[in-house]
Amino acid sequence: MSHRLQIGFVFIILYIGLNHTIYPDLIFQLTNTGHWEVVLCQGLLQLTLIWIYIKGLSYFPGQDVIDIYLKAGKLIAFIILIPFVISLTALIAYDIRLHTEVIISVFLSRTPYWPVLVLLFFITTYIALNGLGTILRSSVFIFLIVIPLMLFVILSSLINFDWHNATPVWHSSFDFLMEKKFFYLMGFAAFLPLGFMAYKTKLTFGFIFLAWVCVMISFLSVVYIPLFIFGQEAVMTLPFSMIRAISSVDIRWFIFNQQTIFLALSLIGFTVILNAVLLWMIGRIMHKMLKWKKVKTSYWIIVFSIIAFIFALFVPSRSWTDKWFLWSAGAQVYFMIVIPFSTLICGFVMKRGRVSYEKG
Amino acid sequence: MKRVNKTLITAMFLLTFLSGCWDIKDIDQRNLPLVIGIAKADNNEYKVTAQIPIPKLSGQTQSGPMSRIVTSKGESFSSALGQIKTNSEDAVDYSHVRLIVIQKNLTKNQKELRQLIKFLMDSKEIPMKAMLAITNDHIEKLLSNINDKLGVDSTSLYDFFNKGAGWAPEISSAPIWEVYRSLFSYTEDITIPVVDSGKDTVLNYKGAAVLKKGKITQRISPNENQLINLFQNKSAKGKIESVGFASVMVTKSTIENKTVMKNNKPLVYSDLNLKIDILERKADITNNQIRERLEKLTQKQFYHIFKQAQKSNTDIFGFGQYFRDQIPYDDLKNWRGKYYPKLKVNFQVHVSME
Repeated sequence: MSHRLQIGFVFIILYIGLNHTIYPDLIFQLTNTGHWEVVLCQGLLQLTLIWIYIKGLSYFPGQDVIDIYLKAGKLIAFIILIPFVISLTALIAYDIRLHTEVIISVFLSRTPYWPVLVLLFFITTYIALNGLGTILRSSVFIFLIVIPLMLFVILSSLINFDWHNATPVWHSSFDFLMEKKFFYLMGFAAFLPLGFMAYKTKLTFGFIFLAWVCVMISFLSVVYIPLFIFGQEAVMTLPFSMIRAISSVDIRWFIFNQQTIFLALSLIGFTVILNAVLLWMIGRIMHKMLKWKKVKTSYWIIVFSIIAFIFALFVPSRSWTDKWFLWSAGAQVYFMIVIPFSTLICGFVMKRGRVSYEKG
Repeated sequence: MKRVNKTLITAMFLLTFLSGCWDIKDIDQRNLPLVIGIAKADNNEYKVTAQIPIPKLSGQTQSGPMSRIVTSKGESFSSALGQIKTNSEDAVDYSHVRLIVIQKNLTKNQKELRQLIKFLMDSKEIPMKAMLAITNDHIEKLLSNINDKLGVDSTSLYDFFNKGAGWAPEISSAPIWEVYRSLFSYTEDITIPVVDSGKDTVLNYKGAAVLKKGKITQRISPNENQLINLFQNKSAKGKIESVGFASVMVTKSTIENKTVMKNNKPLVYSDLNLKIDILERKADITNNQIRERLEKLTQKQFYHIFKQAQKSNTDIFGFGQYFRDQIPYDDLKNWRGKYYPKLKVNFQVHVSME
């Protein structure tokens, strides 16, 4: 299977792994009507950034973001990438913690946090240690196993739908664009890893656009399933509304009556891939930036996964997880703007430099 | 060799971590209550009664009780549930609860009922698919009646409320999540079935109570409830109707609603199409007579309930849902007070023969 297709799968997995927990809750707090407008606005903004990113990367065939920054100067690389590593570590920690909470609330109600965390971190780190090739290959498997399951879960929830709950369909003003929560919403994106995988194959915008369409469908379904089932007034009061919505489905004659467990299990697969990719990025950045001969990439991955694990373990309460997760998502927005634009500028400047050098 | 070692170590790790035996009690050491009853005790405490089936051991004969009733009291519902756990010799697992019966004396206090439903919804243990019902009887009486007549087979209680094969169309069913939704919804109220312990059968269906934001505003009879089910697109298939000089069975039912909003006055055109099968009739009665009679009766019944519901500002038919896209969202919360009293419904029944 071509690398490009695998990267497409990973792209979709990363997004779906992010958007099942807090994302719908944020949307419901942001607007009462016309939810699709918010989702679409956020998606289009991200698409613009992706376009800029790919345009920037196309100036440097066969190279990834780290190479580009190192070319531009070690100082620039440090200024941009070291905070990026820190924010990624935080994102990994709180993402895994959040999913631990989902797992515990869905089917391990008597288990304490740490064994679940240990398990998730162990698998995540193991996958990350094996490198990008393994991640890409395993993501194809997970994708093919999990997506049918998810489709089934979504289809089964149809029996509880009340289509009237989603009306009014239109939202006349765009004032949500200026709200803080919309800013957090932007953080639910995972296109930055594309730049780190760029050395494997040449990325084309058309291909990523196809993956983006799939992602948008998943975003809309994650928002509209709870909305159709509970209605805006009730859904606002429910945390983890997507998972709640699925657990309201009762198909007793069916052997798989526990749809929630199916959903939670498939989410584990996606979360593991998501965090493995992030850890692998950290390892690659640290390894390329600090070229100490003896330190291998794998050591960096282990060190940072332990740091993230400790962070995740010492979260005192649920409200902390939510808050910190949002903050780390918010920090991602900063990098989502800085990294694409700076690659584009680098590419532009260097191309002109090369042209003038050749002329001169 | 080195590779083999690595695999071995990994396998050992997996053995330790993936055994799935964290704090888990096996199924024979677990009590799985199927029905829970909640009531208010005299001293304002909550009284929780759980019906727990006792699995039959192999080789045991039929005699002996097959399920038992456990009761406990507490200041809140959750503490009473906890009490049952403390006093039980095995682990109590509430994740299979199918039915929650609330005694009438608890439903009088709107605030408490709301709190109870919120607790049930938020509870990680009790599934939100469990059905709710209200009883006029004492909880213990009802549950021991279930116990005497059904024993371990109390899952059939669930079938009583579940639509599907053999479901009587006049029974309403209210899972926890739907009741919770109606607590918040601007435009829809819900009916909760009322059951008593029957003499010969386990339950006696008494109709339904209409719940408006956690307050019971109205009682409706089983026959009337069927109409409400029709509006929620639950089919009335199999319902036997007596029109005085004949009795008919409904074989198919569909409903179409058209809504109009004229100067802030909502108007609904509702068309109910019934397909019937005539079971028996007195001599000299034509098909047309039966048809006209049934149409008239159903319309009369509808306007009777609707008038009552409008008086108490309770939207049991869920008409508000149809107007959600015609009223701005900020104004929707006034649906019950401002628009609903002005609502006009043009209800037409069209009966056709099989």
